[in-house]
Amino acid sequence: MDIVLILLEGAVVTLKIAVGSWILSIVLGLLLGAIHDLGSGVARGIVHAVVTVLRSMPQLVVLYLLYFGIGAFGLNVPPTIAAVLALGVTDAAFTSEYYRAALMTVSPSQREAGASIGLSPFGVFRRVVLPQALPFAVPPILNSFISLLKVATLAAAVGSPEILYRAQSLMQVTGEITIVITIVIALYIGITVPLSRAVGVLERRIGASSRST
Amino acid sequence: MIEELVRWTGILAGGLWVTLQLVALAGVITVVLAVGIAIMSISQRALVRMVAQVYVDVFRSIPLLALLIFLYYVLGRYVAAIGLSAFALAAIGLALNEAAYVAEVYRAGLKSIPEQQWEAGASLGLGWGGVLRLIILPQALPPAIPVTLNMLIGLIKNSALASLIAVDEVSMKATILVSETFLPLEVFLLLAVMYLAIIIPLTMVTGRAEALVARRLGLAGPLRPEASRPAAAQREA
Repeated sequence: MDIVLILLEGAVVTLKIAVGSWILSIVLGLLLGAIHDLGSGVARGIVHAVVTVLRSMPQLVVLYLLYFGIGAFGLNVPPTIAAVLALGVTDAAFTSEYYRAALMTVSPSQREAGASIGLSPFGVFRRVVLPQALPFAVPPILNSFISLLKVATLAAAVGSPEILYRAQSLMQVTGEITIVITIVIALYIGITVPLSRAVGVLERRIGASSRST
Repeated sequence: MIEELVRWTGILAGGLWVTLQLVALAGVITVVLAVGIAIMSISQRALVRMVAQVYVDVFRSIPLLALLIFLYYVLGRYVAAIGLSAFALAAIGLALNEAAYVAEVYRAGLKSIPEQQWEAGASLGLGWGGVLRLIILPQALPPAIPVTLNMLIGLIKNSALASLIAVDEVSMKATILVSETFLPLEVFLLLAVMYLAIIIPLTMVTGRAEALVARRLGLAGPLRPEASRPAAAQREA
């Protein structure tokens, strides 16, 4: 029973990492998406380069860079914070693409209509384009939370006391290797499968409602 | 400093070679698994379809690192006797994980072939397997190429996790180098550059392949009304 309690304590840390990096990813992704939408050619180029690099990096390497790399400057980043930053920043590259795809669903004539009633380009973006685009970005962004819930286990590699880290130390202390890792896996299946199903249902609803209008 | 950099690059290049071998092995297993599951998921038998669905659900839910740890510590105890190394276990783990995603895309490819083609094949006297092999698969193959290249990119990125179960691929070599030099920023930056040097060109090739396939299928448009309609609808929406 102790094993389960310790693992659940770890699961709370995992959840915190996932939520933290998700929020960071949503905000940073929107920023990147907005710059891409509103910015000049140069700004777009920079965003494109940043997104390409971030999408091409293994998250573990970004985590190492943030945790050990910045640590080399004498700045002590706690492992859990480093994980939130690393996973949030890499995920933002993907989120920005979801926003971009969602923004493309809004017809250009909407922008022209917004401009013709005297809105500034930012006003058009914020009041006309974004509200129409956002529903399309919701399902992939929810999916990215599910993905972050799993990827958060990478934090174990830098010593954050999340579920997999606790599992590994429990495996060493108790020797109950099979039981411990099986509980972790069962927990993940139990949580992730229903979550994915729910997002799938939502996705179809949003798809259906946009077709009917 | 330059000499040091050359030495490091040499060490990491050795690890990168292991990474590529790992990805090649995992890639082959992934394709075999994913094709099998995709075919199962369009089977006429509900039970077979359900098995495919369970596979996809389960392996998409398990964090890759948890899967690798399971294989390494639990299965590893039993299979070491028959000569399966950490390297082989890592390749299997990467493939089990990746196949769950790729199978879904392959399945969509198979589903994009119009229903009439199945009927036409059946009317020629072909069985289900015959239609699949002679009519459906040859048409589903070209669009699967960019998907498969994308899979390789995913595998290369994921393969970094193999370093955590003692596979001496490039990330593992980098952590060893850090413990020896105490220069984490420099070493991990070099590691990042090495990953980018492989993945960015591969991304460009994938983009090209995607465009090429889209154009070819676009040319075949009149023959594939079902396939071209959803894409157009998405753009209008």
